[in-house]
Amino acid sequence: MKRSYILILFVCMVFAMTANANARSLEIDIYGPGQNKINLIQSKPVIAPAAQKSPQTVESAAELSKLIHNNLYYLPFMNLIKGKNILGGNIVAGGTGKSIDFKKYQLANVDLLVTEVWPEVPNNGRPRVELRAFEVFTGKLVLGKAYSELTPENMPNVADRFCSALMKKLTGRGEFFLSTLAFVKKANPKKKDIWTVRPTGRDLNRLTNMSGLAMSPTWSPDGRYILFSHIGKRYHSLGIWDRLTQRVQKVKFPGNTIIGPAFLPDNKVAVSLAAGGNPDIYLLNHKFKREKTLVQNWAIDVSPSFDETGKKMVFVSSRRGNPHIFLKDLPSGKETRITRNGKYNTSPSISPDGELVVFARRTPQGHRIFAMDLVTGKEKQITFGPGNDEMPAFGPDGFFVAFSSNRSGEYKIYLTTRHGGTPRMVKTGSGEATLPSWGMVPAVSGR
Amino acid sequence: MMKRFGFALMLIMVMAMSFGCAKKQVAVTPEEASSSETAVVEVVETEDSASMNGTAQANEAQLAEEVAAAAVALADTPILFDFDKFDIKPSYRAILKQNAELLKKLPSMRILIAGHTDPRGTSEYNLALGERRARAVQDYLIVLGVPATQLEIVSYGEERPAVQGSNEAAWAQDRRAEFALIQ
Repeated sequence: MKRSYILILFVCMVFAMTANANARSLEIDIYGPGQNKINLIQSKPVIAPAAQKSPQTVESAAELSKLIHNNLYYLPFMNLIKGKNILGGNIVAGGTGKSIDFKKYQLANVDLLVTEVWPEVPNNGRPRVELRAFEVFTGKLVLGKAYSELTPENMPNVADRFCSALMKKLTGRGEFFLSTLAFVKKANPKKKDIWTVRPTGRDLNRLTNMSGLAMSPTWSPDGRYILFSHIGKRYHSLGIWDRLTQRVQKVKFPGNTIIGPAFLPDNKVAVSLAAGGNPDIYLLNHKFKREKTLVQNWAIDVSPSFDETGKKMVFVSSRRGNPHIFLKDLPSGKETRITRNGKYNTSPSISPDGELVVFARRTPQGHRIFAMDLVTGKEKQITFGPGNDEMPAFGPDGFFVAFSSNRSGEYKIYLTTRHGGTPRMVKTGSGEATLPSWGMVPAVSGR
Repeated sequence: MMKRFGFALMLIMVMAMSFGCAKKQVAVTPEEASSSETAVVEVVETEDSASMNGTAQANEAQLAEEVAAAAVALADTPILFDFDKFDIKPSYRAILKQNAELLKKLPSMRILIAGHTDPRGTSEYNLALGERRARAVQDYLIVLGVPATQLEIVSYGEERPAVQGSNEAAWAQDRRAEFALIQ
C-alpha cells in the first residue's frame, strides 16, 4: 500500500514537472515593465567530417559564429554564456535535438542553445549551414533555418536574417537586425556628412560629400530616400539623397531656414521652415512643395516626429517661453503640451505604436533622455550620462532607442531601449557622430 | 556726373549679385525663380559694360573701399544674446543704429546676418533659435529704415562657436548675430 502511494506521488510529481516545463516557453515581452534576461550560448560549430577538408567551410564556420555572436551582443535581454562554463565542453554531436546533451547546458543555467551545423556539400559546392535554436529546459526546437550558397559577402546577411528570425520568435519583433541607421558625422568644423551604418556596427558608408553641414537625416518609409537639412555658407536647403541614383538634390525654400525634416508614413514630409517669419512646421507633398501648415504660431516650432499611422505628431514648441514637447492629434488638430517638468525639453521621437515619446531634457548634469508614456502620462529617465545624451530616435520595433552622447568625450551613437538598458555604442569610426535615424533598407539593395 | 555714379553703382550691384548667383549650384525651385534675383540677372544682358570709363572706375574703387571698411566695422560688432533668448538687449540699440546708418549710406552693400547659439542646447532647436536671433536683428534694421533687399539671414545654430571653451564667458560670445558682407 505504502509503495503504491509513493508511486502515485512520484507520477504526480513528474506530471506536474512536465506540465510546468510545457508552460514555461521562452518568450520575452520587450514592452513589458519587467525585463527578464535569458542565458544564451552558441555551441561550437559542427562541421561534417567530409566538409572539414574544405578550408572555405572551416573559415566560413568561424566567421559566421563570430557574426552571430556580435549581433546577439546588441540584444539587451540576452546574457551570452561563455563556452568554458559548460562541463564536458561546449560541443554538440549534431544539429537535431536527439544528438544534443541538454543536461550539461541545463547545469550551466543556459536557457537557449544555438547550434551551427555545416553539412557536407557535394562537388566542391559553396558551403551550406543549418542554424537552430533550442530551448534547453525542454529540448524543444525554437527555430530552425538553413542557408545555402554561402559566400564571404552574404555571410553577414545570413547572420542578420537568422538573428532577426530568432528575435522575432522570442519577442514578436525582428526589425532590429534588418534596419540601418543614418547619422551625421563631422569631417571638420565646417563640414558634416550623412553616413549610414547597421546598428550592429557593420556596413559603414558615407552617403554625402558636400561642403557645409548636412544634418537631421530622415528615411522615407520605403528606404529609398534620405532627406536632410543642409546648411551652406549662405543658404539652408533640403537635401534629398536617392538610393537609386546615389545622388543628392537640393531644394530651397522662402525664409531660408530649413530644420529637421521627418517623413510621414504616406511619404509626405514635415519640416520646419521660416517662410512665415519664424520656424513653423509645414507639410510638403511628394514633390517637396508646401502643401499646408501643420503648426503655426509666433514661437519656435521644430523637430516633428510621427507614429506609424501618421495621425500623431510630437514636436518642440517654445510657445510657453521654454522649449517643451507637444503632441498634435492630426485628425482633430488638437495640440497638447506633454512635458510638464524641466525647462528645456527637445528632440522628441514617438514610438511607432504612438504610446511612448522619448526626448532630451536639459538637467543640471547635462541632457538626459526621458521616456513619456502617453497612456499614463508618466515619465521615466532612461539614460544617465555622463555628459550629454541627446537626439533619441525610436527604432522600427518601438523597443530600441538610438541616441548620441558625448559620455566618452566625443559624440557617438549609442543604443538603449525604451526601458533604459545599458547603452551600447555603435561603431561609426573616427569623428563626432550625432543625429541617428532608423530606416529599413530593402534587402536586395547593395547598401 | 550723378547719373554716371548711379550707373556705376548699378553695375557693381549687378556684378555683386551675379557673383552671388554663380556660387549657387543647386536645383532652382519655382519659388526661387520668381524671386527678384532673376530680374536683376536679366539686367546684365541689357547692360553695355564697354561704356564704363575712367571716372566710373575711380568711383567704383572708392565705393568698394567704403563698403570694405563698413563690412569690417559691422563684422567687428556682433550682437550678443541671453541664453534661449532672441530679444535685442538695450545695450545693442546704439550699435544697430550705427549699422543702419552705414547700410543706408551704402545702398549697394548687402549683408548676411548669421544667427548663432551656444552649444548647450540641442542642434535642431538651436538652428531655430539662431534663426530667431538673425531675424530679430534684420527686423530691427528694417525698422530703422534699411531696405530689406540689403539684408539676408542664415542660422548656423550651435555649429560655429565664436570661441572654444565650456564656460559662461565662452558661451556668452557664442550667442550672437554676426554681420558679413555678401560678396
